[in-house]
Amino acid sequence: MASICSNEQALNSPFAKKLADEQCQKIYWACLEILERTGVCLYDQDAVDILKKAGAYVTNGNRVRIPSGMVEKAFSTVPKNLSLYDRMGNRVMQVGGYRSYFGTGSDCLNIIDHRTGERRQAVLQDITEGMTVCDSLDHIDFVMSMFLPSDVPQERLDRYEMEVMLNNTTKPIIYVTTEFSGCADAVKMAEIVAGGEDTLRCRPFAACYINVTTGLRHNEEALQKLLYLSEKGLPFTYIPSAQGGVTAPITIAGTMAVNYAGVLTGLVLSQLKREGAPFIMPGWGGNMLDMKTMVQPYADPQKRAQSIDFVHYLGLPMFSLAGCSESKLVDQQAAIEAALTLFTDALFGGNLVHDVGYLESGLCGSLPQVVICNEILDWLSAFMKGIEINDETLALDLIDEVGPDGQYLDNPHTLKHFKERWYPKLFDRSNYNGWKSKGGKSLGKRASESVDQILAEHKPEPLPKDVADAVHAIVVEN
Amino acid sequence: MLDITNIISAVLKGDEPEVKLLVLEAISTGEKAGDIMNKGLIAGMDEVGKKMEAEDMFIPEVLMSARAMNSGAQILKPHLTEEDSGGIGVLVIGTVQGDQHDIGKNLVKMLMEGAGFEVVDLGTDVDPHKFVSAVRDNNATILAMSALLTTTMPMMADVISALNSEGLRDRVKVLVGGAPVTEEFSDEIGADGYGPDAGSAVRIAKTLISGEV
Ligand code: B12
Repeated sequence: MASICSNEQALNSPFAKKLADEQCQKIYWACLEILERTGVCLYDQDAVDILKKAGAYVTNGNRVRIPSGMVEKAFSTVPKNLSLYDRMGNRVMQVGGYRSYFGTGSDCLNIIDHRTGERRQAVLQDITEGMTVCDSLDHIDFVMSMFLPSDVPQERLDRYEMEVMLNNTTKPIIYVTTEFSGCADAVKMAEIVAGGEDTLRCRPFAACYINVTTGLRHNEEALQKLLYLSEKGLPFTYIPSAQGGVTAPITIAGTMAVNYAGVLTGLVLSQLKREGAPFIMPGWGGNMLDMKTMVQPYADPQKRAQSIDFVHYLGLPMFSLAGCSESKLVDQQAAIEAALTLFTDALFGGNLVHDVGYLESGLCGSLPQVVICNEILDWLSAFMKGIEINDETLALDLIDEVGPDGQYLDNPHTLKHFKERWYPKLFDRSNYNGWKSKGGKSLGKRASESVDQILAEHKPEPLPKDVADAVHAIVVEN
Repeated sequence: MLDITNIISAVLKGDEPEVKLLVLEAISTGEKAGDIMNKGLIAGMDEVGKKMEAEDMFIPEVLMSARAMNSGAQILKPHLTEEDSGGIGVLVIGTVQGDQHDIGKNLVKMLMEGAGFEVVDLGTDVDPHKFVSAVRDNNATILAMSALLTTTMPMMADVISALNSEGLRDRVKVLVGGAPVTEEFSDEIGADGYGPDAGSAVRIAKTLISGEV
């Protein structure tokens, strides 16, 4: 289980910051001004009514202007920290503060099949294998579906995804559903597995990922999901995707302001629906479209970190994004972009960091790429630890005893402590001949073999038969 | 005598005042309006299209060029004869039912306008009947549909069969696109063309109407 935490030892371990609190405050005030002055369009009558009743100003049927006081009030009831459990009911994540947990992304249309090296459409079996691999990896703390199954009825694909995730890993799940009904079904499945509505609320092991059209325009399904889950007290993310230069100003501050104005609208609604309902903020902002290719770059350097700072400033749990790449292959670019983005999130303290293993800007996935990210995270978990400085670790007596001409190799102090140092599992440190005699393989090849080995050996804990049947009944029900 | 290639470079630069000025100058020196349009403005946008597909130009610059081109065309309009003022046709565009993604669709729309199409935008979440009536009411040459979800892609086939049952299929070329859409899918549902990005969308739309393959 993860142990990556930025600033773990109060300024005596790595951490980073891009925005000062005063800058965060300016962005926050900008959000409040947007909500009061420009307002948002909400395409769900219930949502409009709830806000209106609470004091928002509504024009043209659905243009809602929210007074600042309503936002401030929401902050006083929303939980600042969120516990997530595994499928068996063990508390495995404390989402909030500077602790980082890592997980995959969802719904990639394609996979680079590690057996053939070919890119092809993903099928349900790919999710089964993906979940099995994630279940076995130390640094994958939660899962999302990874792939989009092309071989199931498309209108119910989200139910199939949920079932496969429940069946093949015990780790916490973040589910995505196209429509509102899929969200209600996913909740039903999770309730069956947890053993009831109250157990799931007390020990949530699944959270919903909700996307919203843009910062200032909220679609019906997103609002329906928000109200439904808030009422049930179940966790979810609420993520408008303000695209700089398209649906928001191209400047980072401007995009963030529009984006978080949308997020705060969701926050207010959730707290109006149920005080104390958990709410997860997005930890990235300042998105842009590449103005040459029109691709939304996931590994963009400029969209990261400032939003993590901003959400820390607001003091809420956050969903973040790293370990992803624009590359079409599991190649040098993929490794570099994954490493840099994971490094950033670890340093700044993003909480639920998803999209680990994404390629091709969210359209393709690869199991070896996830295994490589796991190794990067292993490296980072060693890096992020502070250094103990005391008599035992300084070992001045020993230094004096050994003297300038001695050596430490067979000293008990070495024996006692050498395992504290980090060793790679996948990265190669052999000398040339050693590497050659192990087959002279590239990182990609080794990662691919590691996937095969996991798939051959790892058996995730299955759901009890009756539970699995009850879950399946929801998948196939009309 | 005015060098019409100046218009091309002004369009490329996206210099709206310059384009207007050059078009006026060309008209006053007696250039044929059709030539100014085709050899100047449209030729300029063709260059822009090529540069864009080669990732040699940023989209906001492309849109500036399109705007400059359109202003030039506005000035030219009263001077164009019946046959060269026909424009290149009406294009109906929308994101299919159940789908809210519209960034790609909007981009295609803007570039189609830049290329000289008269565009009717139906927005997002457009039901098949709305597509069909828009095609009929606007006498559209091209119907362009966008889908970003595998769950909404099948709606494209529904629209095509609705066109069929209304007897409109032969009158309009169907162009499809969006991240999950592929050439094979386009063939499978009987569309006339597929574009992987906005730049190629314009090129393909033009080939569709000129009948070249
Ligand atoms: C931005 C985005 C959103 C935004 C959309 C904002 C908006 N106003 O459009 C928001 C946040 C609202 C959103 C919502 C959802 N999204 Co979304 N989204 C994306 C994302 C990241 C980028 C899409 C985009 O705008 N790209 C930039 C534009 C310029 O590119 P483009 O659309 O592909 O268009 C280009 C070409 O395709 C082509 N083109 C497009 N249309 C046409 C038409 C014609 C005729 C032609 C010729 C060419 C053409 O030209 C364009 C320019 O080059 C993609 C991932 C991706 N990499 O594509 C996911 C993605 C499409 N979304 C996905 C999902 C799952 C969803 C949600 C279901 C999530 C949820 N549960 O809330 C909802 C669906 C809501 C709905 N009912 O539609 C999945 C799709 C999975 C699937 N089933 O197929 C993707 C692939 C991400 C992923 N891997 O999970 N999303």
